[in-house]
Amino acid sequence: MKKIAVTGGKGGTGKSTFAVLLVNKFVKQGKRVVLVDCDIECPNDYLLLGRKLSKPVKKVYAKFPELNKLKCQKCGKCVKVCKSKAIFMAPGQHPQFLKELCSGCGACWIICPNKAIRAKSDEIGKIFVDKLNKKFYLITGLARPALEETSPIVREMKKFVFDFAKKIRVDYIIFDTAAGTHCPVIMALLDNDFAYIVTEPTPLGSHDLNLILGLLKKMKLPAKIILNQADLGNKGSIQPILKKFNIKKITQEIPYSKKIVRAYSQGKLLGFQL
Amino acid sequence: MSLKQKESGEIKICLSSTGETLDSQVDPRFGRCQYFLIVDKKTGEFKSIANEGVEISRGAGISAAQIVANEGVKAVITGNIGPNAFMVLNQAGIEIYTGVFNKTCKEALEIFNSGKLKVNQDPTGPGGHVGSGQGGFVPGGGRNQGRKN
Repeated sequence: MKKIAVTGGKGGTGKSTFAVLLVNKFVKQGKRVVLVDCDIECPNDYLLLGRKLSKPVKKVYAKFPELNKLKCQKCGKCVKVCKSKAIFMAPGQHPQFLKELCSGCGACWIICPNKAIRAKSDEIGKIFVDKLNKKFYLITGLARPALEETSPIVREMKKFVFDFAKKIRVDYIIFDTAAGTHCPVIMALLDNDFAYIVTEPTPLGSHDLNLILGLLKKMKLPAKIILNQADLGNKGSIQPILKKFNIKKITQEIPYSKKIVRAYSQGKLLGFQL
Repeated sequence: MSLKQKESGEIKICLSSTGETLDSQVDPRFGRCQYFLIVDKKTGEFKSIANEGVEISRGAGISAAQIVANEGVKAVITGNIGPNAFMVLNQAGIEIYTGVFNKTCKEALEIFNSGKLKVNQDPTGPGGHVGSGQGGFVPGGGRNQGRKN
């Protein structure tokens, strides 16, 4: 079972389109594939494939701190240990937990010397499974709106995906990440064999390529470059970055194509071959 | 003027500042300001605290509010303040004065002392991502300041 991430740094470079095209290619080769839409804040692979989100198969819960004011001695240790700056304490008052900033790491209830902080489960997202055909499964994660820290959803979704993939014996799992280099992207990138970086020859594309390559280097995750809309913009702009990260070649160049754009905009990418 | 300002005794005021002295410009952002100037309203003595939270990806407002609350200030003077910092400072009983743009900290303090600043009832922006405001100092003249509750 191979695990491949599709990422890119910049938004709108064609990550999801490429991920679907990649799945189409594997399916045509007779492989069984799970595509995982890790862009949980605005998943849209299902739209590109002309599908709808059905009933969720699983709800994702995360643990958040809840204070027992009777036990709390207002020592402030929870405030100091919180890396997410999700706990505030005015002098002499009880700590306040800001759920929207909380990553659910659990440091506060571990450090509390008075056992005044309880871990309370709360729904933060949903997981959907869609069987498109015998060889192609789409798993979509969706975060609760207004949730700031969404990486726990990706983490829980990946556990679900690995169990699911073992059961139905898949050949490939493709993790389609969100744009950016923040926590939910990092979470989606973990445990993969390598990552395709979908970028474009524009100033923004190359700027964000630099960021994502920096992240992948830190994570020791090998990168393959896909240059989308390669014939537009200035290809020279990305060469210095590839050189900086010692990447010898662009794995694939995809020229601008009205045919792809049309299929994309009509939600007809299922089975589409380049 | 609020009751708290009328009380005598030590009253500490916090200004979000671009520098370490009273001649520095007021930083229009609260959570992501460069420095906090903590001024004793009575004696005029002040100290500066570098804002460690200026570069963190999120939670800058809470981080800043915690630094300020630990100093025991009664009021915060800034340009804009985001919803998280506004909420916790408000609950901690710290008064929030916003809409101060293109002023030095010294000038802002003079305006504050003259009672021309109004206590904010609402956050004024999404926090660190707000650009510097327009219009300079007019009570109720900053970003979203004219809004009625």
